[in-house]
Amino acid sequence: MDPDAVAKAFVEHYYSTFDANRAGLANLYQEGSMLTFEGQKIQGSQSIVAKLTSLPFQQCKHNITTVDCQPSGSGGMLVFVSGNLQLAGEQHALKFSQ
Amino acid sequence: MDPDAVAKVFVEHYYTTFDANRAGLANLYQDGSMLTFEGQKIQGSQSIVAKLTSLPFQQCQHSITTVDCQPSGAGGMLVFVSGTLQLAGEQHALKFSQMFHLMPTPQGSFYVLNDIFRLNYA
Repeated sequence: MDPDAVAKAFVEHYYSTFDANRAGLANLYQEGSMLTFEGQKIQGSQSIVAKLTSLPFQQCKHNITTVDCQPSGSGGMLVFVSGNLQLAGEQHALKFSQ
Repeated sequence: MDPDAVAKVFVEHYYTTFDANRAGLANLYQDGSMLTFEGQKIQGSQSIVAKLTSLPFQQCQHSITTVDCQPSGAGGMLVFVSGTLQLAGEQHALKFSQMFHLMPTPQGSFYVLNDIFRLNYA
């Protein structure tokens, strides 16, 4: 499958899941997975999902502006996303890159 | 050496070189290196440096706000940078994010295997 299509499908799945039910992200991470969230380093699926489900908002909506991908060597893929994040009840959306 | 320290040193070297003399970036890339610059895909050190040296400004100054790094497996390191870019003569600085995937060289330093650059607009 075309790498750009794979990246696009992954990104749509990731943020739809994030916005609907953050706990559902668990099977996208493994024990060796690492998340750095606003500078905080977290390792392993369990801890990562605990962090994401404890973020201080109930509802959010990601709007994706750009998706870039490149093969990273040894079969991996780098996916670089930018967009904005609207939290329920907040007037202005937050810009993010991931 | 502490990975965060390695990342910080690389970032300082990369942007200092970029701002002083973009042609000097050539030895940070190899034949298999990839750059995606505002969506345009470029491969190989020669083509990458040709792209960077042909960007339509003479002088620029990068100011780095955040640097995050993680090991990428196979001895590599991911470095994620955000900051601003001031072009000479422009009133407002541009915001950008950039991701590097660094791989070790036999000589004990790093080269850039993957490089993705995006301006962050309002």
